[in-house]
Amino acid sequence: MASREATTGRNSGSATDFFGLFRAGDLAVRYPEVPALLAGLDGLEMIRAGQLLSRLDPAAVLSAHPGTKTIRVAITGHGEVAQLQPALTAELARHGLLARSVVAPFDSYIFDLADPASRLYADRPDITICLLDATVVFDEVPVPWCPEDVRRVFSEKLRTFEQIAATFAMSGHGTLVLNTMPLPYQSAAQLVDYRSRAALGVLWREGNAELLRLMESNPALVVLDLEPMAEDVRLTDQRLRVYASAPFTTELTANYAREIGHLASGLAGQGRKCLVLDLDGTIWDGVLGEDGVDGIAISDSYRGQAFQTFQQIIKQLGARGVLLAVVSKNEASVVREALRDRPDMTLREEDFVRIVANWRPKHENLAEIAQALNLGLDSFVFVDDSPYECGLVRRELPAVAVICVDGDPALHAGRLLRDGWFSTRDSTDEDRGRTARYRDELVRKDFLDSFESIEDYLRELQIVVRVRSAESGDVPRLSQLTLRTNQFNLTTRRMQQSEVSALLQDPGWMVLAINASDRFGDKGLVGAIFARRQADVIYIDNFVLSCRVFSRGIEQGCLAALLDHAIASGVTAVFGEYRPTAKNGIVGDLYPRYGFRPVPAATIGDKTARFRHDLREPLERPVHLQMEEDFSGGLSS
Amino acid sequence: MNSLEELITLIQDELGIAVTADDAGRSLDEIPGWDSVHLLWLVTVVERRTGRPASLPDLLEARDIEGLYTVLEGA
Repeated sequence: MASREATTGRNSGSATDFFGLFRAGDLAVRYPEVPALLAGLDGLEMIRAGQLLSRLDPAAVLSAHPGTKTIRVAITGHGEVAQLQPALTAELARHGLLARSVVAPFDSYIFDLADPASRLYADRPDITICLLDATVVFDEVPVPWCPEDVRRVFSEKLRTFEQIAATFAMSGHGTLVLNTMPLPYQSAAQLVDYRSRAALGVLWREGNAELLRLMESNPALVVLDLEPMAEDVRLTDQRLRVYASAPFTTELTANYAREIGHLASGLAGQGRKCLVLDLDGTIWDGVLGEDGVDGIAISDSYRGQAFQTFQQIIKQLGARGVLLAVVSKNEASVVREALRDRPDMTLREEDFVRIVANWRPKHENLAEIAQALNLGLDSFVFVDDSPYECGLVRRELPAVAVICVDGDPALHAGRLLRDGWFSTRDSTDEDRGRTARYRDELVRKDFLDSFESIEDYLRELQIVVRVRSAESGDVPRLSQLTLRTNQFNLTTRRMQQSEVSALLQDPGWMVLAINASDRFGDKGLVGAIFARRQADVIYIDNFVLSCRVFSRGIEQGCLAALLDHAIASGVTAVFGEYRPTAKNGIVGDLYPRYGFRPVPAATIGDKTARFRHDLREPLERPVHLQMEEDFSGGLSS
Repeated sequence: MNSLEELITLIQDELGIAVTADDAGRSLDEIPGWDSVHLLWLVTVVERRTGRPASLPDLLEARDIEGLYTVLEGA
């Protein structure tokens, strides 16, 4: 009863741990505290927490905290998939999300997903999970069998999955998640000769490869590669499989749920963007202040080599679009010297958007970086080898994800990567140049400080804004803007690529892409306007702008261009909406600021504010902007 | 597993189901929130604590908490 006693002991006070909260019956009332409490739990405790959280009535949480973000999840599959629900509930809670999940009956995935009129489609889940394992194939292979039988059944199943993906694209909502099916040893071992086992191995992996390839042609589909997820845990528990048709072990189910948690977090627009690193003991061995630039170890010892590997992995993440920064208790000049002069250093000054080395508390430095980059603290992941620093940041800034690398440096990379904080469905060209752009932005802020007035500054910036009808090549970035932008996002309508594509093809809609550049460089595709025309009125469904280009009049220029286009095409009024969220207060008065007048709310209790511009007076373009406008393919009638 | 009370506490703590000693003889079907998937987690927990395997088929056939305890007793 060791763990129960431990839990009871912690519960004696004011219920400051997760299980204490549960025992006190306070989980719903104190739901906003749950993510921080879950952060300290290990794997088994998370599964236990999931059991308890899955008992919680989502309505009770929403009644106490109406603003809680909810994610509707449907779980279906071949075997008994209900075991995923508790793990998933806990993983979503860890991201501050409330799961509203529906578990399909045993082995009903074909009915659920191949029939557009199914109950599952009618529920319109945000995420539909179809859990697959090798029994999908082997349950239909005759006994006795040979590899050819397996090939036949696998290819039949692949046709089914193709059909499911197509049906989902037509009738589904949100994202469909499938997974590859690792080949259990118990299946391969039934073929006694190695030649046949090799043949089975080939056809099985070709089948899984085809499954993964479905992602290329289905924008709403994610196929998770399950094999790497089973690297550190067992694939199946034979007793659970035989007696309960459970496809995977509890541990693998937990790993799977963790991955879905990150996917859901990204879909909810709260993916992590910035990795902040400590230095001493985290990315190199030794203490820079004591050992000196030449004394720290990065490659010239066993431990040093482990740190070098860690640095390489961090550099790789940076190249994939993760912003890197340093917060270290050190002398700034020595840190710069080490990053610049050590020949075996993989990470260099230019890999970081910000290097902060001083003696102030780390949470203060982190908060300042967040402010300078115009990102929320919930976009940050912090890595440190000191449990003290980790604990302090966790306590002071609960929104920051903290990874403590306080053990063997060979395990640092695993700790960083096992939680896919930066996982995202797609990355774009924009992502890969992100560090340079954000660094430019910080240079620009310093540049700003040297001007007397904001007007001088804006003029000197030489901003060029291009508003144009979006093209199919813009779809990944446009979708990403709706998913990742939280502040300048008027209605926070998140859109998957498939939804953006559908609007591009719909003649009733106009999707405008906004590009910007200035003297510091090209900012790329930084914003979008989604609008539709009905008779002689234009409705702006949403307007998003990257936080990198706030406060420069770009939004005014784009609105002015849209209003002029409306006047020229015979429109009599333009409507806009603002739907408040916890993060988009900055644009609450955007429409009234530019000549729109409030329209009385249609229904009482609806928080969405509506505005109307009567087009009697055009909106001025800011003089400091050079505008390029191309509305070809826009709304003519 | 040394007593029925211990099992009942375990069900409360691990599964979040508010059962009492009075529910020990009630059919599992009548206990709100109970389903066989939760039983699987319970088995995992008991086996981790005792370090000994429990008979899953016998547990799946048990009709009430007392029946579960009969299988787990001594495990």
